[in-house]
Amino acid sequence: MPPASSPADTAVDTSTDTAAGKPSIGEADKSGRRRLIVKTAILTLLGAGTLGAAVGLTVYRAGWYNIGATSPHFSGVYSLLEGAMRYSVRRHANSVVVPHLSEADIVRGAAVYRDNCAQCHGGPGFAPSTHGLSMQPVPGPLVDATARWKVRELYWITRHGVKMSGMPAWEFHLSEADTWAVVAFVNKMPAMSARDYRRLTTAPLPTVTPAASKGQAQ
Amino acid sequence: MKMPPTLAAALLALSAWGLAGCDSGAKLAPGTSGDPELGKLALTQYACQSCHKIPGIIGSEVYVGRPLEGMAKRRFIAGNLLNNQENLMRWIRDPQSVYPETAMPNLGVSEKDARHISAYLLTLD
Repeated sequence: MPPASSPADTAVDTSTDTAAGKPSIGEADKSGRRRLIVKTAILTLLGAGTLGAAVGLTVYRAGWYNIGATSPHFSGVYSLLEGAMRYSVRRHANSVVVPHLSEADIVRGAAVYRDNCAQCHGGPGFAPSTHGLSMQPVPGPLVDATARWKVRELYWITRHGVKMSGMPAWEFHLSEADTWAVVAFVNKMPAMSARDYRRLTTAPLPTVTPAASKGQAQ
Repeated sequence: MKMPPTLAAALLALSAWGLAGCDSGAKLAPGTSGDPELGKLALTQYACQSCHKIPGIIGSEVYVGRPLEGMAKRRFIAGNLLNNQENLMRWIRDPQSVYPETAMPNLGVSEKDARHISAYLLTLD
């Protein structure tokens, strides 16, 4: 057996040497190997990170990602963005306190919805207008909104809007009362037939003008 | 480093395939006319996917309208209409003429687009 030049170079198990009182070669060998593993891991991560950044920058600056609304997101991108929105709304709406919403709120909400929301979201038997139809992401129907969102979350979305989706924040355009009224109406939509929707949104209603609504904004 | 032309071509082809989103390119179903690929694009411009889950279309998990997978295999649409391209186009363009109380709105789909859209839907089996 050749003399050990340095503990790290020795691969054989020399743990019996511990009796001598100095750190065993086996221990030193282990820590040397650990250092090598950590070093390799760091270098690999750095390398992967640099490569990833370079690829990302190339895709970004070359403009390869098609931003046109006739080309859909990749499936992963779509679900990532949608998930981020869902979790964000869930968190931010947590502190919203839902007031008592009455039948009168629903009636008032019908007018608010007709005047401000139906253009993009449509309603039972009611088509959105052209710009609502072809927006990407699609504003989507709200007849299933209660299956996706709690009442407080509907309020939060209406009030604050959703970045990069086309959903405006209504905080400065609808009064607090009208915002809750429209939320009350949307909350009832799943149970509405096309006929109910028509009746509620075409009956003579108190017209909701932006000027009148703004007065109550908090 | 100089890249051999065959390798370069192979890489280019591979990335082109990747960028194309692995599109299989729907084939027109027998007895239908129109352009399924155009229909696939057109239907997103009438927000069909906002209410229907449609195979091949990126969108949310929605169950407002019925999911449209297996359209080619269905015998009836909208309850009692025989499933063929003409009837499907009629349903797409004017659902109220088939079923006045339906929640599916009239979305103002042109005849041309309805033909392409129905051509796409009828490739889904």
